[in-house]
Amino acid sequence: MKSGGMRGIAGKISNETYINLAMLISLVVLFFLARLALPKFASIANIQNLISNQWYIILLGIGVTHLLIAGYFDMSVGGVVAMAGVLSVFFCQGNTSTASELSRGLNLPYGISIALTLLACLGIGAINSFFIAKLKVASIIITLGTMSVARGIAQILTQGAQRNTDLPDVFTVIGKTSIPGTSMTIAVLIVAVFVILAIVAEKKTVFGRRIYQIGANQNAARLSGVKVERQVTILYLISALLAGITGILLASEFGAGYSSRGRGYEFDALVITLLGGTSINGGFGSAFGTVIGALIISVITSTATGLLLRPEWQYIIKGAATFIAIMAQRYALEKRMSNG
Amino acid sequence: MENILEIRNLVKVFPGVRAVDDVSFDVKRNTVHCLVGENGAGKSTLIKILTGAYTKTGGSIKLNGAEYQAGSTGEARAKGITTLFQELNVVDQLTVEENLTLGREDTTLGFLRRTDKINKCVSLLHEIEPSINPKAVTSTLSVAQKQIIEITKAAASKADIIIMDEPTASLSENEAERLFRIIRELCSNNMTVIYISHRLDEIFKLGSYVTVMRDGRHIGTKPISEVKDRGELIKMMVGKMIRENYIPNPNAADEKLLEIKDLSNHKLKQVSLHVNKGEIVGFYGLIGAGKTELARAVFGVDAIEAGEILYKGRRVGASPSQMIEAGIALVPEERRTQGLFTLLTIKANIPVMKMDRVSRNGFMDKTKEREVAESYVRDMGIATNSIEKEVGKLSGGNQQKVVFSKCLCSEADLFMLDEPTRGIDVGAKSEIYNIIRRLSSDGKSIMIFSSELPELLSVCDRFYLLFDGRIKAELKNSADIDSEKIVNIVTGGDAA
Repeated sequence: MKSGGMRGIAGKISNETYINLAMLISLVVLFFLARLALPKFASIANIQNLISNQWYIILLGIGVTHLLIAGYFDMSVGGVVAMAGVLSVFFCQGNTSTASELSRGLNLPYGISIALTLLACLGIGAINSFFIAKLKVASIIITLGTMSVARGIAQILTQGAQRNTDLPDVFTVIGKTSIPGTSMTIAVLIVAVFVILAIVAEKKTVFGRRIYQIGANQNAARLSGVKVERQVTILYLISALLAGITGILLASEFGAGYSSRGRGYEFDALVITLLGGTSINGGFGSAFGTVIGALIISVITSTATGLLLRPEWQYIIKGAATFIAIMAQRYALEKRMSNG
Repeated sequence: MENILEIRNLVKVFPGVRAVDDVSFDVKRNTVHCLVGENGAGKSTLIKILTGAYTKTGGSIKLNGAEYQAGSTGEARAKGITTLFQELNVVDQLTVEENLTLGREDTTLGFLRRTDKINKCVSLLHEIEPSINPKAVTSTLSVAQKQIIEITKAAASKADIIIMDEPTASLSENEAERLFRIIRELCSNNMTVIYISHRLDEIFKLGSYVTVMRDGRHIGTKPISEVKDRGELIKMMVGKMIRENYIPNPNAADEKLLEIKDLSNHKLKQVSLHVNKGEIVGFYGLIGAGKTELARAVFGVDAIEAGEILYKGRRVGASPSQMIEAGIALVPEERRTQGLFTLLTIKANIPVMKMDRVSRNGFMDKTKEREVAESYVRDMGIATNSIEKEVGKLSGGNQQKVVFSKCLCSEADLFMLDEPTRGIDVGAKSEIYNIIRRLSSDGKSIMIFSSELPELLSVCDRFYLLFDGRIKAELKNSADIDSEKIVNIVTGGDAA
């Protein structure tokens, strides 16, 4: 093992730091490649766009990442985004309009509307955890089910369209206010706070350690006295809550609750999680990695759009980039493991 | 009588152990050839070579006079050796007749064809056991009936030899009798049976020949008619037992720490026992006797149907987390799948059972975490260059020491050790024994569930002998304890 230099440093860091570092370097390299092709890529305005394009996926990605580290999927988040957006509008819409059914809500105060919306989201989280943690049904099945249920609620309340009238002025405040001196909304700040909380929870708390223990070997965790059911329940509640907050912020930004909002977000959140190095088998990964994953996707798709001027290609490019990145990651990790 | 199988100088070496060591014997055609030996005697390895799961290291096997070697169970079956494993190989969702032709179906362009083959199998089944309806869904059958389906399958595919591994383990007495009748019929119909069982009575009832193995070696092959009694067989199985001398334990107090009354569940039948403070208590039985099930039931992993568990005089909860809180720790049977987080580092593994020791108000204390890990690595003598090493990369013995560290770190008063030295080398074994003795001298109580008698004889103060989910006897250890008597009891003999 006497080989100094890079090997020496690489030998001292954990696999997680190794992958995160590799992804960070990839992000920087991709960024500079993009700048070579598109001179304006490194402008402040564009960098702000790169972040603004992804904040909602990052917020969803936190819950999805922690569940995946514990060995569980959460495919319900996209549906919950739609449900939360529509509910937040429905609860505080005035109830006097005669224009149409969609313009009449419950006329509740804003604060109560938000609280009730989050409560409804926790309800979805509770259904997930009841079936998955308690009854031990496969998580992918249950959360695909609750994804439909949540979106269904949004569809019913909007008759398949949207609600956007007769809202109190306060409704759009958080979503439309920018961080002073930038083009980014304060939603980005909120996401930053949650990312920091997630990283602290993951790295510095017993709660965080339990996530890795359950994901690494659920059987051993149970025999070691870990309260697996309780932990998984809390993780699903958190994930639903984060999805609810995402939905509320998006509804606030657009001043509307769309029933089709958040379609496909569950896959986007899963993709950035995997890109960020979280193992689909559990036991390994990090929220920090997920943020990097999101930024990589952002750089790739906006470069592609900038070069081709054709946004419809972004799916193919996103897909190809994801394949390559995940294969490269697996290769790097396996090689490293077998060297140990 | 002619030999159907000739085994000569067969050797199988695993890293650090000769599991089968220069074994030679013959199996005669149309006989029931019994294979006996304690756990770890090499029977399973020998069988796995015959069925193609392992490749032999040396020696030769001749089947019907021709050199025999199989690379898979499928190949072994094609060459005429079929095995009836304890885990039955039938598909529950299919019907009986579908199972009978499974894998050998007649097809045209991928479509199933109903041919004579099914009818032949069905009539064969009718001959063997007329009570089974060939149209029934297999999941509705009993274990004994499923076995008969597998035997029929083997007979239909014209197997020469059928190997049966503990076939009566989950059968009632009547079902076992019926199985014996079927086996005898098979033998009169040009089939040879190699029969493995821990129940020695069955061997006298059924066998024509018996081969005894011990420590990977062939001890002897004899016609059953020439074996005097169980005692002779047991002597061959046990031999001169090599063991460290038992040193009477001065730490065992007369104060009950754990008391179990009439514990019953799906496997255990009215188990009552107690463990004193500072005492090392062994639980010995052969595979399937219920040792692991007992450990799991006590630790709150498996459900209990009746009975009572008292710890320090009080009833304790029924989940591992409550047991650990009460002060009980388990070293589980399977270290990699039940004991360790192989992906995580040594440092992350050690405090899992008691995170309070490395955290404050829910936040990790990295300094303490490091100190705790380092102190156990030192105390236990875990060979590693860093506490940041993933546990999956350690050797078996060092992994087991991490499992022990995990349990010690929980600051338990009672340690339940299920097969604590399985799959680790001799040096690591004796280190583990020293750790166990040290725990006892610190006033801790230890329960060891093991299928290695020499191990229990060298460390335990007292034993419970298990057979068929029951405690058959309780013995105090002494330097002149009669190991033949113990083996007699755990193979189903009388306790008296």
